[in-house]
Amino acid sequence: MHIPDGYLGPATCGAFYAVMLPIWTAASKIVKKTLKAKQVPMLAIGAAFSFVIMMFNVPIPGGSTGHAVGGVLVAILLGPWAACIAITVALVVQALLFGDGGITAIGANCFNMAFVLPFVGYYLYKAISFNAPIDSNRRVIAAGVAGYVALNMAALFTGIEFGLQPLLHHTATGQALYCPYGLNVAVAAMAGEHLLIFGWVEAIVTALVVKYLQKHSPELLEEKGGL
Amino acid sequence: MKRHSNNFIEHSLIGTLDFLKESLFAEEFALKKGFLQLLDPRIKVLTFLLLIIQAVLIKNILILFYLYALCLLLAAISRINLGFFLKRTWVFIPLFSLVIAIPALFSIFSPGEALVTFKLLSIKFVITQQGLSGAALFVMRVITCVSFAVLMSITTKHFELLKVLRIFKVPQVFVMIAGMCYRYVYLFIGIIENTYLAIKSRTGTRIHYKRGQQIVAWNIAYLWSRSYCLNEQVYQAMLSRGYTGEPEVLNDFRARIKDWLWLFCVLGICAFLFYLSRR
Repeated sequence: MHIPDGYLGPATCGAFYAVMLPIWTAASKIVKKTLKAKQVPMLAIGAAFSFVIMMFNVPIPGGSTGHAVGGVLVAILLGPWAACIAITVALVVQALLFGDGGITAIGANCFNMAFVLPFVGYYLYKAISFNAPIDSNRRVIAAGVAGYVALNMAALFTGIEFGLQPLLHHTATGQALYCPYGLNVAVAAMAGEHLLIFGWVEAIVTALVVKYLQKHSPELLEEKGGL
Repeated sequence: MKRHSNNFIEHSLIGTLDFLKESLFAEEFALKKGFLQLLDPRIKVLTFLLLIIQAVLIKNILILFYLYALCLLLAAISRINLGFFLKRTWVFIPLFSLVIAIPALFSIFSPGEALVTFKLLSIKFVITQQGLSGAALFVMRVITCVSFAVLMSITTKHFELLKVLRIFKVPQVFVMIAGMCYRYVYLFIGIIENTYLAIKSRTGTRIHYKRGQQIVAWNIAYLWSRSYCLNEQVYQAMLSRGYTGEPEVLNDFRARIKDWLWLFCVLGICAFLFYLSRR
């Protein structure tokens, strides 16, 4: 889901930086107000955790493997605003140091993976698991549903961003200047693979991790006060 | 297709080993005394961002090609092994882009002036002028941007690269978190590698995918609870090093005449390419 440089036109890249700027500012203010000084390393740990979670290859039926993005899991564990900062830092480190995801597309990547993914996932998890005890099965189901829906929402936004490029940037003869596929192809391709494969991987991983934490470290699943 | 497989262990191990190997190579190149390595990291990052933005803005494939040639020239004078550089930059993103650009060649996705027409299984395929130009421009743009981004990252020490974020007025706390995150990534990758090696050495038979998924989830949960315990220790370590609650990032960069000359040179190149593309 990492959008590389060259897929999005300058106007789209600029617009997403502009959209993300107030979100980053709000996240920074909220986290600074709520987070105790001693919890600062937790953000760095959360960022590194979101970075490496993609290295866990998950077996899927048929002998193949996929990987989870982990955005919803980080949001459940840290709270959505702290997750927004942690995932942003992970995406910046990936783009700058490892060339994974474009530098000009950091705004768009952060919108999809550090904003849509954790916020949709976190609030869906909260809504489904409303008032359920920490060790309740409803929380496991809520985590799975949240993982599946949030990843598909993020994929849908990515597909829309790709699909808008031929409409926004083309020559007089109709030649596409950036991502060459329109909304019908880009959205269908992104939604298809996430609805059928990656969404399930995300759902299974998020649900199973919550299940294991319920059993072995339930204190880690306690509310983070809207952080 | 096999129903039972352990390849998720192999894939995870290969992933961690590749990551560590690539980081070692990158660090090795960053320590060489080449042209880019000797530049002030702040000026270097600024100029590379200008070049990447320029690559995104250019709409002419020939001008993009000049920019890509400049990138290869910079890699060569920075003592980067060109074979390694081409492999590092072409594999995955540009190759993937090349593959996804292929359907865009055809009239079904890019209607326009027919260039080549052929029949396959009695279906008529038409490659259009617009499709070919669009796909070529797309792939050329992606490879140019990826090459500049990779060249910047392998010719700069990673810690310096993160410290440079300060010049873009990124709050100190973000820069500090990014620096700490970078260290933790290596720690976590070490943990993942050791865990998977241990799993591999203990699993003689093939694992059903459902059991495999449980193993992965358990490992992720275990990594998180282990990291959580680290928090307190890290905070104590920060306090013992003088952390007062307000992060401070040392600024020990120094720009010299050569750095300013390089900056003006890049500004000149960007202005010239902009002029060429508007002509």
